[in-house]
Amino acid sequence: MTSQVIEEGAPSRGRAFLASFIKNILPAVPLLLIIGFFFLFPITRMIYVSFLSNDNAFTLENFKTAIQEPYRTGFINSIKIGLFSAAIAAFPGALAAYFIETRGSSKLRRTIAVMSGVLANTGGVPLAFMFYAALGIQGYLTKVLKHLGWDLYSGTFSLGSFIGLLIVYLYFQLPLMVIVFSPAIVSLRREWSEAARNLGASQFNYWIRIGIPLLFPSFIASFLLLFASGFSAYATANALTVGNLPLTPLQIGGLLDGNVSAAQLNLGKALGVVMIVISACAVIPYLAIQRRSAKWQKR
Amino acid sequence: MSSKSLSLRNISKRFGTVNALDNFNLEVGVGELVALLGPSGCGKTTALRVVAGLEHQDSGTVLVADKNISDVPAHKRNMGMVFQAYSLFPNLTVEENVAFGLQMRKVTKTVRLKKAHELLDLVGLDSQSKRFTHQLSGGQQQRVALARALAFEPEILLLDEPLSALDAQVRVNLREEIRRLQLSLGTTTLFVTHDQEEAMAISDRVGVMSHGKLEQIDTPDALYNKPATSFVASFVGTMNRIPTQLSDGHVQLFGKMIPALKNGNESGNVIALVRPESIVIKSTDEDANAKVLTRLFMGASSNIVCQTKDGTVVQSLMSSDKSGDLHPGSTVKLEVTNKEVLVSNA
Amino acid sequence: MAKALRVKFQPPLALTLLILGFFVFLPMLSAFEYSIRTPLTGGYGWTHYIWAVTEDDFFHYILRSMWLAGVTVLITLFVLVPTLTWLHLSNSKVRGLIDGISLLPLVIPVVAFAVGAQIAFPEFVQNTVLELPFLYFVLALPYAYRSLDIGLNSIPLKTITEAARSAGANWMRTITTVIVPVIRGSVMATIALTFALSLGEYTLTVLLHWDTFPTWVTYVAQDNILGAIAISMMSLIIPFLILTVITLFVPERSTQGRK
Repeated sequence: MTSQVIEEGAPSRGRAFLASFIKNILPAVPLLLIIGFFFLFPITRMIYVSFLSNDNAFTLENFKTAIQEPYRTGFINSIKIGLFSAAIAAFPGALAAYFIETRGSSKLRRTIAVMSGVLANTGGVPLAFMFYAALGIQGYLTKVLKHLGWDLYSGTFSLGSFIGLLIVYLYFQLPLMVIVFSPAIVSLRREWSEAARNLGASQFNYWIRIGIPLLFPSFIASFLLLFASGFSAYATANALTVGNLPLTPLQIGGLLDGNVSAAQLNLGKALGVVMIVISACAVIPYLAIQRRSAKWQKR
Repeated sequence: MSSKSLSLRNISKRFGTVNALDNFNLEVGVGELVALLGPSGCGKTTALRVVAGLEHQDSGTVLVADKNISDVPAHKRNMGMVFQAYSLFPNLTVEENVAFGLQMRKVTKTVRLKKAHELLDLVGLDSQSKRFTHQLSGGQQQRVALARALAFEPEILLLDEPLSALDAQVRVNLREEIRRLQLSLGTTTLFVTHDQEEAMAISDRVGVMSHGKLEQIDTPDALYNKPATSFVASFVGTMNRIPTQLSDGHVQLFGKMIPALKNGNESGNVIALVRPESIVIKSTDEDANAKVLTRLFMGASSNIVCQTKDGTVVQSLMSSDKSGDLHPGSTVKLEVTNKEVLVSNA
Repeated sequence: MAKALRVKFQPPLALTLLILGFFVFLPMLSAFEYSIRTPLTGGYGWTHYIWAVTEDDFFHYILRSMWLAGVTVLITLFVLVPTLTWLHLSNSKVRGLIDGISLLPLVIPVVAFAVGAQIAFPEFVQNTVLELPFLYFVLALPYAYRSLDIGLNSIPLKTITEAARSAGANWMRTITTVIVPVIRGSVMATIALTFALSLGEYTLTVLLHWDTFPTWVTYVAQDNILGAIAISMMSLIIPFLILTVITLFVPERSTQGRK
């Protein structure tokens, strides 16, 4: 298959380069072209433009504005809703994943996997309208809760408020947690708990010394992914809020639509870059932990 | 030594409709290595797990040194167990794995690490003590698992097919090492395997199981030479099954009357069970009773497959230098060297 | 062994399922109740659903979303299956790079991606709706790539390809008639995933000012909120039911090795 590369002057070296290119890179070119043009190029261009002023001179002004009000509150709110929704969903989601994966039949497990997938992904706008109908001021669930003595709308509550949005976000965060944490549960081998018992460990000792240390990295990783998902969610928030809750994705959306008159044309790009940085702080550790755990999770 | 004897009395265990153990009895003496051998699904692993306390029997008792431990939970039974594979804790280093049992017994860190190193030294892995287990080969991992199971000086050592996931050469080395360690520590050991060669090679006694029952338990020699049932006969080693007639307590094999060894009430048409090494082949043209089909050269010995005139295919194991003149198609005379021959119902 | 035969009632599992069931279905049922209210009569009826499905735009946008999703699936399969097969076979140095790049879309929030997409592309790209399938492809890439990667990892790819090639099949045939059927489990998963993601994509689509089914729903909501709710219920419940039923009745995939 491989032709031996013989160092024999320029022409054959050129041919060798060509051969090695065909063998090592050419088949990846279509994929690389698509990713390059439709993904890396727009991202790079955005980063570049975010450093340009209205008359295309280099500037840091966009970023200075991006971290001032009202955008500062937008970031704080977005980070808060990401953190809170992840924190609330993580533990129940992990526990649910544990019981389903360890006690459930294979049919149940597959069904839950599919249902979680649908809930975690098809969310967005339909999800917002569903909650509007269920938990809006006229919603049946609202009536039931009021009947039970919990009047949601007695105060300042609305679905477009921080708390309201948080409740709606949980509806996709919890299934997402089940999805991303389940593989970690599956990779906990029964032999480990049996070996621990055999070696004299009580259930408690097994969890303290083996179970929790093994699951913890994946738990943190899952939490980070949930944070990123809550932090950057756009569709649901866009449908439910009416400009009363500053969130970075909505602010960017507004700038893109030209709804907000911006003295700085490239402010939106700077906000986007900051978003990417924050999101990367969560997703990159998530990917790194996943990769590391995969080493002993294999087989 | 802390080693103790082990008895299982009338143990039964069902999983749904499957009788994994059916009134199962077993005695293992102090310092003895007993193997449980059988096809998959025969209940051997269940027996081991019942002893470890990882399964609870439906009825019957487990005794250690004549003390009933049936209701003692698994983590309070003082037994070391080696699993098939991948049982090492991936978040702990090799030495932490080995010291785990002692840690659970509240032994101080210096003492337990010293003990862990002793054991790792015994299995030849002391140099790897700081590594994580996924950095070791399969054979090394099982050595660590063995060290871990022995580190807290268990009363009984349980081996659940510890070699089955390893390569052939590693298996042979490790099984000898297991035996060497077991003998030097004098630990009472129950060893579950489906590999008869493995069981025969290192055990004091081998118990052959089928359908949740012990078919026979005896020394490897006795098991091979005097199988108590036709199941044992055909499960242990290779057996020729030759259809013949039983009359007057004798069977006729290749023209010779040989006393029959019966296990039950066999009569009339029976199957004679004859080991390949008990069949001798002579090359001849006159009074030939079979024809050579193939000869498999295996070094010192050769495996010769013949077909008798009535169509039965028979295997013979002969030393290679005596079978050099046998070729496919040669007409030969078969003879049985047994003084008596085991029979079973056709 | 026989242990799998044991079926026991599991209180923790039952409790988990009960709580999850409430969590998932209470809002859904409550919303459904809302969606069949008819304010004119004060009773219940299918008014809003009937309104939705008799609206011309309903099918117009569903079809549009479906064909965009279909194109995305085609791009995904045509690009990823051969490339991944090659990457697995060749041990090329670029594999690590491509593995890494394929995960990058996870890092980028879709809103930020939309900002980039809006300013970067030349006009001929921005003017055709066909930019969407390529962008959807990027969004689905981390999942599609992973799913196919697992599928290819679980089979003895080298042996299979060599067997097919020595039997005289060219690369095209080897991939379409040998590899794809062998990893059909993960191919199906990839198709389902990519299709669903493209069908439901809202953020990027709306920020790039394209109209698809999900964006049409928000448009409807501006003057017929009940109609929008009915449409939302359909787009949540119908895929939910179809997929659940499929999982319950289609036998477990047997092709994917479980290591």
